[in-house]
Amino acid sequence: MTKKKIHIENSVRRLRFNNDEMTQEKLADLVGISRQTVVAIEKYKYTPSLELAFKIALAFNKEIQEVFFINQ
Amino acid sequence: MNIKLRNTLGEIISAAIAIIWMYSKLNAAANMSIALISQVLVQGIGISILVGIFLAIVISIFASIITGNYEKNIEDERDSMIELYAMRLSGVIFGISIVIILALLGWFNLHINFGIIAIALSGFFASIASNFLKIYFYK
Repeated sequence: MTKKKIHIENSVRRLRFNNDEMTQEKLADLVGISRQTVVAIEKYKYTPSLELAFKIALAFNKEIQEVFFINQ
Repeated sequence: MNIKLRNTLGEIISAAIAIIWMYSKLNAAANMSIALISQVLVQGIGISILVGIFLAIVISIFASIITGNYEKNIEDERDSMIELYAMRLSGVIFGISIVIILALLGWFNLHINFGIIAIALSGFFASIASNFLKIYFYK
């Protein structure tokens, strides 16, 4: 158990570009969030809920740990 | 500027207009009856709501004309979180304001009319402060 604050990072931006340069708008539509939230997630300014994280991973056909990970 | 920022700015402007309107009507508050003050406050709240709706529509139309596309206002979990933070700040400001106003009323033996007006205005100021917090998060 760690009480230290963890920094959750993600590869959403890279995955978007690897998926035919998917736009932020398209990803937002796919998972049902606003484009501003996609921007905030990509800039690590907002960590999504577990449900939203799973939705984003599913949008890229990836496992959740491939999209969201802890920066050691 | 995205749709959330625009709508929040519209809310700030509508609250500011309502405050200015109420302030202009209540300059002789000491000589006014409570019923008259209540009418002005209710009208002010109504003006704030109507101006808010009007600004949201006008800003949305102008933004659509300028950008050439219609931006949907999608509410998601981040918006709920920001709304929660804003409501918490608004509640804290309003609560502190009420305590200060009641203390001032008793301390300086002010007319009850000032208390009613100050409580109503502090609600508007709390709303404006919470909207500024929203802008901070949306930027």
